[in-house]
Order: sequence, then structure tokens, then C-alpha cells
Amino acid sequence: MKRRAFLADLIYGATIALALPVSVTEARVNNTGVRYLRPPGSLPEEQFKSQCIRCGQCGEVCPNRCITYFGVTHGAEVMDTPFIVPREQACILCMKCGEVCPSGAIQPIKKTFEDIVGKVRMGKARVDENLCLSFQGKTCGVCYRACKLQDVAIRIGMLEQPHVLDGCVGCGLCERSCIQIPQAIRIIPDYG
Amino acid sequence: MIRHLNKLRWLVLSIVFAMLIVLPFIHLYQTYIAAHAYDLLAPAEKQIYDVMETLTGPFVSDPETDLDAIKGNTWSGTFFGYRISDPLAVVSQSAAGMSLYWPFILTGLIPLILTMLFGRFYCGWICPATFIYELNTNLAVLLHKLGLHTGNRKLDYRFKYLVLGVGLVLSAVMGAVLTAVVYPPAIIGREIYYGVALSGYSHVVLGGFGAGAVFFISTLLFDLFVSRRGFCRYLCPGGALYSLLGHFRIFRIQRVVENCNDCAKCNAVCEFGLDPLRDGFGQECNNCTACIAICPTDALKFSVTIKDQPFQGVGHLGKAYKRHQGQDESK
Repeated sequence: MKRRAFLADLIYGATIALALPVSVTEARVNNTGVRYLRPPGSLPEEQFKSQCIRCGQCGEVCPNRCITYFGVTHGAEVMDTPFIVPREQACILCMKCGEVCPSGAIQPIKKTFEDIVGKVRMGKARVDENLCLSFQGKTCGVCYRACKLQDVAIRIGMLEQPHVLDGCVGCGLCERSCIQIPQAIRIIPDYG
Repeated sequence: MIRHLNKLRWLVLSIVFAMLIVLPFIHLYQTYIAAHAYDLLAPAEKQIYDVMETLTGPFVSDPETDLDAIKGNTWSGTFFGYRISDPLAVVSQSAAGMSLYWPFILTGLIPLILTMLFGRFYCGWICPATFIYELNTNLAVLLHKLGLHTGNRKLDYRFKYLVLGVGLVLSAVMGAVLTAVVYPPAIIGREIYYGVALSGYSHVVLGGFGAGAVFFISTLLFDLFVSRRGFCRYLCPGGALYSLLGHFRIFRIQRVVENCNDCAKCNAVCEFGLDPLRDGFGQECNNCTACIAICPTDALKFSVTIKDQPFQGVGHLGKAYKRHQGQDESK
């Protein structure tokens, strides 16, 4: 009986020990504590981290100054890599960063409507209807007017209530422009 | 003619460093133009705008796009459509991603070929960290004169190869280009940019400057108080890579034994602590030409050869050699 309990414990322990590395590798991609976006055209997160050489050129061509860089407090593996916090400064989809990136971490995407809607995957906006003014009866519609891809990425219905569509690329202009504090529309990042 | 190469080198170093300072300001200027809001700028920002406008005005017609011609830093930069990257960046990226991304590897080709021809020329002629490290050496001399203790410890120069190897292995394990975090020229390029352009953001510490600045200052202190130019000689992963690549370089400084008078000024002036007096250059020499500039009898010159000469004996203009000759004649 004792031996059986011991064997059971052994198998149980071994399973945990084997499962642990699996669960570690399947840990969250974002360990920084910041809800950030990568610049438009970025590779999937894990690949991005290994491709980016941290030269800082993407930030240096960004005309909107939306690209900033991680510091040492966010961890060595993301340190000095570019990111965007849309509430502070959102991407205007000028596509200059992909053009200048030498390392291939940000892939070049042509600045045309089809390419931007088809290839840019920064994230997707989500409306919090409990916070959104339009859903509270106070017509607003600022997010719709800020959007560069109106009626493709976002649509407004009754009382200027915003509805996010499949064309949303996650540039964050809506989140940047939201007049509600905290913002009623947020980008859920797409890390690939 | 060849004696003035050291001045030319200082000119090149200064230009590179000045560019690293000007480029972030140009970036700011471009963002101000893009915002179409000159009237809304703060007084300091207006000043930046005006200065950059007068600086770049003669060269560009449409500053917002034309000024994109030169971007980046010595780690990786864009220069009129051509991309040039540090070979260490190429090697580290290949290690981190465990794959070869050819468009990027090709950007490191020109520096790679130049390094194979000239050895560690990057360290002496371009590296923005060298600019500060050499000034730091002058500071060490000053401090020494004031009576402070400055370090000139000798360590094993092979230690930097270990740093390079460990850096690449760690990059591969972590899946991130970690050598960029401990490589001074990359740090300086980034930190100047952070300090100038990102000072208003909350993500970065120390008013724009990040952890890289702290690391770089600690290397300066290491150079001051532990070992002169110690980081370049013993710890720099880039220096290690260039030393390896430049092992069979074909342009080398060599001693002309007929002209040498054994004054040993070259040994005193060599930042890397090499031994030109006894023909000891090796793969560590960064072709800085300081020894050529100081040599009173023009005994050091560039030559095209794939191997260093072994010790050629004492200089023919020196006392030891003449005494030796005199003994031979008296026999």
C-alpha cells in the first residue's frame, strides 16, 4: 500500500515537473506590465524580440513621436525595443518605421489602403459600453471622427454609438482621442 | 603626410559624434514640421526649430521628408538610401533568431570587408564611445597630475572573447539581441536620442536617459580607476569581434627598424597598451595612428602585409645599437 502511494506520488510529481516547462513556455508574451502595441508591420512578438537589434531608427523617423522604448525596468529581453502606448500617442499609419527598419523586425508595408487594412495587425479596438458617453445617451462620436479608416474599422450607429468592425488595425487613434477618463475605447494588442 | 592621420581621425570621430547629437534634434524638427504648429511650440522648442531650420535649410527643399536621408546611429544607420549596420548587430541577430535574414546581413557587408582589410579600424576611427573614452584618458592624466590614484591594471585581453561568446549564447537562449545592451557605441547612439527626443515621456528614467547611460558611466569609471581603456581592451564584445575579423588584415602599422631610435614614445602613447617598440601590434591594434603621429624619427608606417614582423631588434638610431656596433668594430 505504501509503495503504491509512493509510486502514485512519483508519477504525480513527474507529471508536474514535465508540465511545468510547458506552462512556462506558454506564459504570457507581455511581461512588461504595460499594455503596449508594436509599430505597424511588426513580426509576431517572440520573433520580434529576436529580430529587433534596438537601433532606434523607427522612433527617429516617426513624425508623430508615438514610438518610445522600453527601459531596464521592463526586462532585458524587451529593453530598448520600440512600443506604442496609444493613450499617450497613437500611430498615424504613416508606415515610415517599416520602411526604415533594417533588421526586418518591422516589415515594410506600402502606404495604400489595401496594404494597411490587409497587413497591419497591431491590435483591435474594444468599446466599453459602460464608459462610452454615446451609450449613456450623450452623443459623442469622437473616436469615429479620429479614425483613419472610417466605416472600415469603425462604424457609428444610433446616437453616435461606435461599433468596431473587422477592418480595425489597432492604430489607437480612437483611444488617444476618447474624451472619457478613463478611456471608453481601448486597443487590445495583437502580439501574433 | 601620414603623421597627420591622427588629426584626421579626430576630425572623423568628432563628426560622427556631432552627427549623433544633431540627428535627434533633426528628428524633433521634423516632428514639429509634421505637426504644423509652430505657434504652439514652447520657447525652447521654437529655438530648436529655428536652429535646425538654419542648419539644414541650405541642403533640403522639403525638410519633412528630405531629412529622412540620414537616420540612425553607428549601430545601424540609413545613409542616402544605403543601410549600414555593425557586424556585431548582424552576428547577434543571427544568434538570437537562430536564422539568417539576408537583407539585414547584407547591410553589414561593407563594414565587414573594411574590418577584414583594416582590423579594428572601427574602434579607433568611428566608434562614438572611443571619442569619449579617449577624452576620458586625458581626464585620467589630469587626475593623475592632481595626485589622484588612477588605475592602469593589466588584465587578460582574451577576456573580451569570452564576453562576446557568452553574449551570443545568452542572446540565443533568451531570443533577444542582448549584446546591444552592453555595447557602448550602440548605447551612446540610443541614449543621446533618448535624452534629446524622449525626455518628456514617463517610460524612461533619468529625464530621458535610460539604464544604458548608467552602464556607460560605469565603464568610464572602470577606465579611470581600474584600467586605462580597459573596457575596449578587455570587455567590449564588438572589439572582440573586430579583433577576430581583423586577424588577417592586410593594412598594418609596422616599425622601420632603420629609423627607430628606441625612444619608446610610441609605447607611452598607445591607448591600447600595445608594444610598437618591440613590433608587438597583434590583432588588438585599432590603427589609431597615435604612435605614427608622435614618432620623432618617422619609424612607424603603414604597410601592406598579412603578418606582423617578429621583433626586429633594437632601433638603428638608438644608443644601444650604436654601442653594439662600436663593440663589433673594436673586435
